[in-house]
Amino acid sequence: MSQTLLEVRNLHTYLNSGGRVVKAVDDVSFSIPKGETFCLVGESGSGKSITALSVIRLLPQGIATHPAGEILFRGQDLLQVKEDALRSIRGAQIAMIFQEPMTSLNPVFTVGEQIMEALQLHHPDMGDAEAEERVMLALEQVQIPKARERFRDYPHQLSGGQRQRVMIAMALACEPELLIADEPTTALDVTVQAEILRLLRKLQDDTGMSTLFITHDFGVVAQMAQQVGVMQQGKLVEVGSTAQVLRSPQHPYTQQLLAAVPENLKRNPSPQPLSLKGRGAKNGAEAILLPSPLEGEGQGVRGALLQIRDLNVWFPIKKGVFRHTVDYVRAVDGVSLDIPQGQIMALVGESGCGKTTLGRAVLQLEKPTSGSIQLHGQELTGLSAGELRPLRPKMQIAFQDPQSSLNPRLLVETTLTEPMKVHGIGVDREDRIERAAQILESVQLKREFLWRYPHEFSGGQRQRIGLARALVLNPEFIVCDEITSALDVSVQAEILQLLLQIRADRNLTLLFITHNIGVVEYLSDQTVVMYKGKIVERGATAQVCGDPQDAYTQKLLSAVPRLRMATQPVRPATDSVLPLATRQ
Amino acid sequence: MTEAVISHETFSRRIWRKTWQGVGVKLGFAWVALLVLMGVFAPFLANSMPLLMSKGGEISAPVLHYLNIEDVVVLAMFALAVVLALVSLSAGKRVLLFVLGTLIAALLANLWVKAPAVMIYDEFRTPAYADVDWRIMPPVPYAPQDYLRDYQEHGLEQPLAATDGRFHLMGTEENGADVFSRMIHASRIALSIGLIATGIALVIGVILGGLMGYLSGVVDMLGMRLVEIFESIPTLFLLLTFVAFFGRSLYMMMVIIGVTSWSGYARYIRAEFLKLRRQEYVQAAIASGLPLSSILFRHMLPNGVAPLLVGVSFGVASAILAEATLSFLGLGLVGEPSWGQMLDQAVKSSMFNWWMAAFPGGAIFFTVFAYNLIGEAFRDAIDPQLSRNAGVKA
Repeated sequence: MSQTLLEVRNLHTYLNSGGRVVKAVDDVSFSIPKGETFCLVGESGSGKSITALSVIRLLPQGIATHPAGEILFRGQDLLQVKEDALRSIRGAQIAMIFQEPMTSLNPVFTVGEQIMEALQLHHPDMGDAEAEERVMLALEQVQIPKARERFRDYPHQLSGGQRQRVMIAMALACEPELLIADEPTTALDVTVQAEILRLLRKLQDDTGMSTLFITHDFGVVAQMAQQVGVMQQGKLVEVGSTAQVLRSPQHPYTQQLLAAVPENLKRNPSPQPLSLKGRGAKNGAEAILLPSPLEGEGQGVRGALLQIRDLNVWFPIKKGVFRHTVDYVRAVDGVSLDIPQGQIMALVGESGCGKTTLGRAVLQLEKPTSGSIQLHGQELTGLSAGELRPLRPKMQIAFQDPQSSLNPRLLVETTLTEPMKVHGIGVDREDRIERAAQILESVQLKREFLWRYPHEFSGGQRQRIGLARALVLNPEFIVCDEITSALDVSVQAEILQLLLQIRADRNLTLLFITHNIGVVEYLSDQTVVMYKGKIVERGATAQVCGDPQDAYTQKLLSAVPRLRMATQPVRPATDSVLPLATRQ
Repeated sequence: MTEAVISHETFSRRIWRKTWQGVGVKLGFAWVALLVLMGVFAPFLANSMPLLMSKGGEISAPVLHYLNIEDVVVLAMFALAVVLALVSLSAGKRVLLFVLGTLIAALLANLWVKAPAVMIYDEFRTPAYADVDWRIMPPVPYAPQDYLRDYQEHGLEQPLAATDGRFHLMGTEENGADVFSRMIHASRIALSIGLIATGIALVIGVILGGLMGYLSGVVDMLGMRLVEIFESIPTLFLLLTFVAFFGRSLYMMMVIIGVTSWSGYARYIRAEFLKLRRQEYVQAAIASGLPLSSILFRHMLPNGVAPLLVGVSFGVASAILAEATLSFLGLGLVGEPSWGQMLDQAVKSSMFNWWMAAFPGGAIFFTVFAYNLIGEAFRDAIDPQLSRNAGVKA
């Protein structure tokens, strides 16, 4: 291990807002040696981003104060440096990339101009031709296809992954010694994330820079870091080598976090239909459980709660003065699927693959363009709102966003009892309130919560209330649309366990829409993989995840960052000059 | 279960608390409250007849005999509002009770209240009313239509210029009536035209805009064309035409201003509903099979109504201005005093009468200003950016 590049000693960062002082960072110390990656990991609000922003001094001066501590960058205390001098350090020696690739580039300049500006700011004597050449090199370095043509492209012409590459190119153009990456892959799809992580590792090897990497995902930590620090409520509770922390965490909080990662969750044996057991031969299970759509037509598959046949949901693209339809966005394109009773079917895919649209179309929240959806053999498409009403209680939905999934103006009691009243469940108001209270208790909330408004709850609690709302009508089938993806990992684990328990108690059928493979493996019995509106693979979860047949599924699964990689070499593919920090 | 006390702040209460934080909004509400009090109690504040008098041991209240239907209805509405404010009921029920009570009061007043058709205000200064044991006069002892014909040379007097025992705080107008008295009575017109015209516009705008936003598609397309048609109608010229054809009526003005100004509210609500329709709690309400009326009025409207309130407070101000403009052009009401009409008088005579311009002009200015202050405070309280900053968590 060579010399230390960045050393943070007893850093305190206090934020003053409205007369209150929040100890966002409370006595944090760590150091990053040259050429290594240090990961800060923690749940939302733990102060990991504030720590990073403190290092590069990007916090608003009026709000943030540093009552104590030192940030030594090459022996110089950044907290004492004047603003002018800081500017020459920022960008040139410490660069930063952010989470949101959609908004971190200026939309009115070409990507080449933006990188050139950063470059010439720190090298004022550099001529245009030379700078342009350096930018081309930087773009090639971040492996953007046809880098030279991309120079004059505007940000909106690039995909999310390409924009993040441009951000990295901009950060690296001045050859910084320290790169701060604040959740750089959180907003990206898992396959794109894998490419970006691979790129970052390669660039680090090529340039020998150090990285302060912030993430909430232990899978990413396992792939990226030599050292890892776990933050909780502004404090650094555990620091150590990645393998050591991930394998034998010392602090109870770290243990708790790691235990909550879906890969590590212990699943209780769930009630599965007998047909699955004993016929687990590869490819066999799929054929038995999911007969091909054509076979199932007309006669109705035994045990299939919901049958979807040749479903299309197309959104017209309208152009011109008369708004005539020139083309369609085929969000769901010719999907046929049987959802067996009592099973959890996971619908997996990347953003924009049509999985959410499919889930909504099943509930007739989105009008299908063509095709058929049958619940217990009853056709749902083409029914009017009035005809659908008696069927509504059988199928419900729970949503992703805890902020918008509950009506902010209504008491939880009203949210829960109104559907019951409409569908004639319960004899009077008292009875309905009692039922609502029982359902709240079944999602492990207190019955007093009935008399509160949504803004008084945390994200996890709101998701439980959202589930309770889906449960009040005693449905047979619930679509869970990414219900855990906005939650911290420990909260996610609780919700997943709750789902399994509710499923067992009520013999529910779930369509669980997610992009998180770890959750799929933990939760589901069946897995369906969607790509560009079509189903590319389906079958028993163990089979799809263990032995994927389709090329896209294979790519998707190999891109998932996993904890167990921590025990493997961190950089298998590159010719690292630096010894790996720790390996057991 | 129902006895559980809700000690937590509701959404509307939070908005209200934030609205109430500034100084400007308090001044705005104070001014509007002053106007309301003046409008409601105008007959008792400025009138020629005694409020209470004792003659030969017999106590009577002449002012009560001369109250007209309008006065009685307005007083009943005020009493109803005070009672409803003290009773704990849901907002919807309060509005319903208020509307019902107002209708009943209007009906009863039409049946029972008979004000004398012709008022001779000079009478109240004759010995029949003047030679009494004692009497209590209103603070301003002149009715708005009391042209003081029993005095000589009293038209267009500057404030406090009278020498024959009269006291005119704001002077007199060209016919000799007291300006202060007319100002007080005109506040009722200013308030009612603003509130009723905006109320009409609001009802039309919310229903049409809500349907456009929720149903979208063809309904939205046709609705938007209708909005554009109504937006292209110049309100003032329509008013001029109607006044020319059908004569002058306050109620007609209210209806015309209301019917032509709903398009803005429809646009607001449509935009909000288009956004809200995508919200997950609305999707969940649809998935639960709730009836359309509940989805529209329970799940969407309360969440989309906040920006509308901003528009309403500005709308009230512009309706007041429209009436003032019309009266200034000489097409307003004939008998009843209004601020715009007084402004008209300020420039009509051969010389500029500053008191005829300053007081009503100032009243219009302060009223519009007050509504704008209130509207602005609402907008700041509702702005999600500001509330997010204020609600920053640890």
